[in-house]
Amino acid sequence: MLPEPLRRVVQMFARLPGVGEKTAQRFALQLMSDESLASELSRELAALVQNVRPCERCGNIAEVDATGAAVCGICSDPRRDGRLLCVVARVQDLIAIERCGVMRGRYFVLGKLLSPLDGIGPDELPLPALDAKLRADGVEEVILATPPSVDGEATALLLGRELAHRGIRVSRIASGVPHGGDLEFADQITLGRAIEGRRNVDSVG
Amino acid sequence: MTVTRRVAFERVMVRSFRNLASIDFAPAGRLNVIAGDNGQGKTSLIEALYVASTSRTFRSDKLRDVIQEGAEQAVVRATVLGEASGSVPLRHEQRAVVGPRARSFLIDGKKPQRLSDYAVRTPIVVFHPGDLELASGPAARRRTLLDRVLLYLDPAGSEARLRFQQALRERQRLLSERGTRGADLDAYEAVLAQHGARFAQGRQRAVEAVLEALEPAFRRMAAPELPFRGAYVPGGSTDPGAFEEQLRARRERDLRRGAATFGPQRDELQLELGGRPARSHASQGQQRILALALKLAELECVRAASGTQPILLLDDVSSELDPARTGAVYGFLRESESQVFVTTTRPELFVTPGLEPAERVDVTLRAGELISR
Repeated sequence: MLPEPLRRVVQMFARLPGVGEKTAQRFALQLMSDESLASELSRELAALVQNVRPCERCGNIAEVDATGAAVCGICSDPRRDGRLLCVVARVQDLIAIERCGVMRGRYFVLGKLLSPLDGIGPDELPLPALDAKLRADGVEEVILATPPSVDGEATALLLGRELAHRGIRVSRIASGVPHGGDLEFADQITLGRAIEGRRNVDSVG
Repeated sequence: MTVTRRVAFERVMVRSFRNLASIDFAPAGRLNVIAGDNGQGKTSLIEALYVASTSRTFRSDKLRDVIQEGAEQAVVRATVLGEASGSVPLRHEQRAVVGPRARSFLIDGKKPQRLSDYAVRTPIVVFHPGDLELASGPAARRRTLLDRVLLYLDPAGSEARLRFQQALRERQRLLSERGTRGADLDAYEAVLAQHGARFAQGRQRAVEAVLEALEPAFRRMAAPELPFRGAYVPGGSTDPGAFEEQLRARRERDLRRGAATFGPQRDELQLELGGRPARSHASQGQQRILALALKLAELECVRAASGTQPILLLDDVSSELDPARTGAVYGFLRESESQVFVTTTRPELFVTPGLEPAERVDVTLRAGELISR
C-alpha cells in the first residue's frame, strides 16, 4: 500500500533496536515532510560510514584520520596508562565505564562473547587483536569487565586462564550494591551476591 | 518466621484465556467454590489465577497455549489485597498479558526487575490432579515442588538455578558440536560448576524445609503407625571444585547420553513407607496421601519463607480421593487461614458451618461463562 521507496525506508528503520513497525513509519513520514532533515541525515550517515570506524587497536569507535588510519581518542592519548587494560564485550560497556571516570588505562572491545548456542567459540573471538594490543601497550594488568551472564562469565574465565599463562595480572569486576542506594531497596539477588562476594575490611579501598 | 500477613484476590478479570472469553470475578476472602460440569472452564479459571500470580502455568509447557483460539492475546488482571495485622491493608495489581510471541507481566503497571520478583509477590500454592503423581511419578515432579519452595526460601539459589540450566545447555551443545576437549568447554564447566554448586546448596535447604514440614503433614493424613522416612539423594555437589572435576570426568559419558549425568537436575527426594520406597512399593492410596502431604508441606514452607499465608488453589482433587481422605482435605480447608479456591463437580459436598455467609462465594461455570448462585 505504501510506495516502494517509502516502504523500503520503513523496513530499514524497523531494523533498529527498540523501533517497531509503527514507529518506523512515523520516522519515514516525518522525514518526507521535512526535506532538509532528510537530506542532512543522508549526508551525515554517508559521512559517518566513511569517517568513523572501529579503532584498529581496541575496537572502540574512532574517526578516520588524514592517512586513512582509525585510532580512537583513548588509544592515542599518551596520558593513558598502557599497562592497565580493561576488556569489555561492547562499545556501550566501554562508554559506561569511561563515564565513571575511574579507569585510567585503556580498553579492548571484544565485540562478541562465547556462545555455544550461537556457534561462537574461541576462534571467533578477536584474540589475535587482543594479543597485538597486549604487546603494543606492554600491558601488565587486565580487568575483565564482561557482563555477569553465563556467556560473559565463561568468556572472562577463558580469557583469564589464557592471560594468566603469560604472567599477566588478571582481575574480574565485582558485582554488588549500587552506590547511593539504601540496602533495603537493593534487589535480593544483587544484595545476595554482594554478601557472598564480601571483602575483608582492611582491603576495602 | 511468624506469619502476620495474608494475601487474597479481591477482583479478577480474565479475557480470552483458554475457553474463558470474559470473566469478572469478586472472590470471597476465605472460600470460593467453583462448580460446573467437566469442560466448562473450571480448571482454566484456576490456571488464570495461577498465571496472574506467578507468570507460569502448571498445565502445559508453553504459556502461549492459554490464548483462546482466534484471540490475539490472553489477559488476566488481579487485584490482590495484602492484610497485615495492625496495619492498613495494601492493594496491588498484577497483570499478565500473553501473546503468541510477546508477553508482559506488570505489578501496578510497572515491569518488575526480574520475573522471579513477579512470581513471589503473591504467594500461592496450587494442587491439581497431576500432583497426585508427586509420590508415584518421576523425580522431576518432586524437583518442581522443591524449586517452588526454593523461589521463596533462597532467591539467590533460585537465580543460580536459571544460570545453571543455561550453562548446562551450552555445555551439552559444546560437547556435541566440538567434542570433549576445548578451552571454552573448560570455561563453561567452571561457570556451570559454580552455579550448580550454589543451586545444589539451595536444593539442600529446600529439601530440609520440605522434609521438616512433611512429617507432621503426613501424620495428619495417614494412619500414625505407618513408619515414614524422607531422604535427599543429591545428584550433584555443593562444592564447586568437586562439581567441576565430576563434569570433566564425565564428558565422554555425557556426550553419549546426550545429557549431563552429574548435577542437581538429577536430585531425588526419596520417600519411604515402612522401610520401602514409596514410588515402587506403596499402595495407590498411600501414594496419594503422600502426594497430599507433600503439597501441605509446600504450603507450610511457602508460608514460613514468605511470612505470608499463601492463597490455595485446589483443582478437582476430591474426585480422585476416597471419602475419608476427601474428609481430611475438607477439614484442612475449613481450618486453613488461606483464601481458598476449589473446583468441584459436586458443590453440595462442601458444608462449611463455621464460615460467615460473606466469607464464602459459590459460582458456577457453564460454557466459559460465570454464573453466581
